[in-house]
Amino acid sequence: MSSRARTIFFLISAAGLAAVFAWGFRDAPPLGDYRGPYGNVVTQVAVYERHATDVVNAINYDYRGFDTLGEEFIFFASVLGVLLLFRPQKEKENEGKNDSKEQEHLEEELPVSDTLRVSMQLMVVIMIVFGVYIAAHGQLTPGGGFQGGVILASAPLVVYLSGNAETFERIVSSPLIKLAESGGAAGYAIVGAAALFFGAHFLTNIIPLGMTGDLFSSGTIAVISALVGLEVTGGFVLLMKTYLQEIIVAHGGKK
Amino acid sequence: MLNYLTYIVAAWIFLWGLYGIVTSKNLVHQVVCAAVLQTSTYVLLLGIGFKVGGTAPIFADIPVGTSVVDPLVQALMLTDIVVEATVMALLLSMVVKSNEVAGTVDPEELRVLTG
Amino acid sequence: MTATTMFPLPIAIPLAVAAFIALSGKLLGRRFSDALAIATAAANLWMTISILRATWLQPQTYWFGNWWPRAHDVALGICFTVDSVGASLAVLASLLTTAGLLFSWEIFEDTENHFQPLMLIFMAAMCGFSYTGDLFNLFVFFGLMSVAAFALCGLKTLEPAPLQGAYNFGLVNTVGAFMIVMGIGLLYARTGALNFAQVGRSLGSSSDALVLLAFLLISVGYMVKAAIVPFHFWLADAHAVSPSPVCVLFSGVMVELGIYAVARVYWTMFQGGLAAHTRELRAILLVMAAITAIVGALMCYAEHHLKRLLAFSTIAHAGLMLAGVGLLAPKALGGFSLYVLSHGVVKGGLFLCAGIVLHRLRKIGEDHLHGEGKGMWWTAGLFLLGAWGLAGAPPFGTLLGESMISDSAKEFHQAWLPYIFMFAEIVTAGAVFRATFRIFFGWGEPAPTDRSSQIEEKPETDEEEENVPAVMFVPAAVLILLGIALSAVPNLRSTAEAGAQLFTNQFTYAQAVLQNVEPAAPALTAPEPLTSSIVRSCIALALALLLALGSLFHKRIGGWLKFTHGLELGNPILRKVHSGHPGDYVAWLSFGTALLGGMFVWFLRR
Repeated sequence: MSSRARTIFFLISAAGLAAVFAWGFRDAPPLGDYRGPYGNVVTQVAVYERHATDVVNAINYDYRGFDTLGEEFIFFASVLGVLLLFRPQKEKENEGKNDSKEQEHLEEELPVSDTLRVSMQLMVVIMIVFGVYIAAHGQLTPGGGFQGGVILASAPLVVYLSGNAETFERIVSSPLIKLAESGGAAGYAIVGAAALFFGAHFLTNIIPLGMTGDLFSSGTIAVISALVGLEVTGGFVLLMKTYLQEIIVAHGGKK
Repeated sequence: MLNYLTYIVAAWIFLWGLYGIVTSKNLVHQVVCAAVLQTSTYVLLLGIGFKVGGTAPIFADIPVGTSVVDPLVQALMLTDIVVEATVMALLLSMVVKSNEVAGTVDPEELRVLTG
Repeated sequence: MTATTMFPLPIAIPLAVAAFIALSGKLLGRRFSDALAIATAAANLWMTISILRATWLQPQTYWFGNWWPRAHDVALGICFTVDSVGASLAVLASLLTTAGLLFSWEIFEDTENHFQPLMLIFMAAMCGFSYTGDLFNLFVFFGLMSVAAFALCGLKTLEPAPLQGAYNFGLVNTVGAFMIVMGIGLLYARTGALNFAQVGRSLGSSSDALVLLAFLLISVGYMVKAAIVPFHFWLADAHAVSPSPVCVLFSGVMVELGIYAVARVYWTMFQGGLAAHTRELRAILLVMAAITAIVGALMCYAEHHLKRLLAFSTIAHAGLMLAGVGLLAPKALGGFSLYVLSHGVVKGGLFLCAGIVLHRLRKIGEDHLHGEGKGMWWTAGLFLLGAWGLAGAPPFGTLLGESMISDSAKEFHQAWLPYIFMFAEIVTAGAVFRATFRIFFGWGEPAPTDRSSQIEEKPETDEEEENVPAVMFVPAAVLILLGIALSAVPNLRSTAEAGAQLFTNQFTYAQAVLQNVEPAAPALTAPEPLTSSIVRSCIALALALLLALGSLFHKRIGGWLKFTHGLELGNPILRKVHSGHPGDYVAWLSFGTALLGGMFVWFLRR
């Protein structure tokens, strides 16, 4: 279809879709009128049943923990997919033997000012502490594994931006990153399966629940949150490493 | 009418996202339009869970029993955001690789598979 | 270990092993990773078969995290409700993954250790998808299935075509996924629940506009995966560029799971509300099914790229399977599940055979391969058997599925449906026959060259070999022969219909899930005689052969058989519509949604 024909075709369909939406939303409950049983029931019982004050994470890692297992593996599969897409190809290696060094090392020094360098290095420390704090307090306050993991994964990027390409290279090539990612993902499945050994169903909370409000409370919620944090950190660092290598190599070292 | 504003906004963003995807001339732009499309579902979900006078469902400093908004839609949204971010990452890497191999990101010029 | 304890294992074990292989594959070597992956897939096959036997006519529920439902039917947790339809789909998924992993022993030298984990994750997602009883969990497994599929589709990154195919696939399916989430949100707004049984009970018999909009959005999203016209454009592109073992999974079970999802969602949640409009809904679904079957068949015959040809035949058969669901009756649904099983193995075997062709002959376009397959008699035999299976002729299991659907159609006065079946069978089987005769026997005129068959696929293996390796041939042969073996199972049709009775009973489903009341095993009724189906399918087989021979020898025979050549050249408008442009595909998606929405508003409102 030509571009014009496609636009007109779509605008007609969009008008139809808008009409269908308008007709459907007439019967929707108005804003602020939440009546459904799920939210009401779970906010009453979650704190008592699981000693977790953050009900959203209690749902995510306990009541509906199986969904989060699937979601974690969606992330894992995506990272695998990106690694697969950017894998070193045999033909590429034959073409650019002299490029192979660049594929391995991101050695350019970014020209950054001293102020930036110092303040970025301070930022890295703050980000790591903050990331660990958010990931560890998932069961108490908003946060949790995913959020903390993303913050932690940004720390190496800040290292790179502060001009320390070598340190960045060393951090992201460490085998610990892959171990964190796969370990976090497999660990979640194993924690779930561990419940089977105690005669309970998959992903039951079998660890003692502790006192509400404590750092080490709510049983497997805290454990799963930490595992997810590990996996997300590992995954995002791998993604960043792959993208940066690809883009720098593809542009022949130009920034 | 104000009562249904979330639904109208959600539908509006949805249709604009679709428009962007259909009329796009650049694959990166297309992927970002798909991300915009996704935000319409966030608006819808959050609007559904809202309770007038409700506060955040975190009982760290409020007693159990205070009126809070629905936590389930927030949990659904977290899952949704992760799914979206990862799918966008995968699609964008396909675009980057496609640019490397074929030299273009214009869908019109990339039409290798037809008929 | 009781049977129910086994329920989460077909999902948890492959996922954990996939993470392990991704981590340590480089250390442990390619052969070890392959062997571990094959062993896991085989273990999954054994587990899913045990689960199928345990839930044969007794659906069972498994609540994750011990979160049984509270008083007043409020379910806070996620459950798996396994019945025979879902369990058989999981068996199919595990079987095809095992075959695909065996096939890939010889190929992909450079994918490090990323291919096997993605296949295992794909298998786990498909098993979870078939077992689940929760609306959002269905979506999460749909997303997992999709992401693994996108990654596997774009495997061959050195050519532009795979990236375009994978991108089209990814974009269109993602838009469909967003629609599903909107639909889930709207259903949640109305009922405050995500469990199928609880939502169904909450909705009761109300079917106001919001519920219909939710049904529209959710069905469209899953129909995108099921490749129903006009949401089907991505399928041919994705198949044309994916590696053969991945195509097996796409056509054999992933597309069928989309149709299964529409059936599951309808029968557990919307059936009560739409009960007054069953006739109209049936008509809408049957029209969509017929259009899909016809368009798929016509495009199939006009293709000369072997994998695209098979992909379009999947679209045609997806239309037939949607007809099985769209009749909204237990007998037709039983026929649907039988058809899915037998079509899945036959199509899987055919894709593996296409992979064998690519491996031995290094090309995949019918025009480039004219006569080059002479001497590969075993592979040619498999192709011929596969085409026989696509025609639905005895002794293949597709006959049984088709007969149940046609019998059900007659009960609803839709006697035209068996002829659509015949049309799709004749044309798709004819296409495979034509390709076989051309490639392996060298008969007939050279194929017309179309643009898509000019895209030659890079061979998946490194060197040419004299013989087809056993590890490639045996899975293909076993799959196709399973299509025949399926008919030998005693009482298959009665059991399928009984299983479908349980599937379609919303009331007993809700009771079983929420109150743990075991449903009474339905009585096995005697199936109707197969004679009319056998006659129709044998005629279809004969006509398919005639069609193939007609296109091959049209210059010599001439006369009224000239139309076969026209069929092979294809309709230019239809070809232009399948343009490869992702914006076009999404425009058609919007059009289809708006049209279907309009039909819902007009026919299904109160």
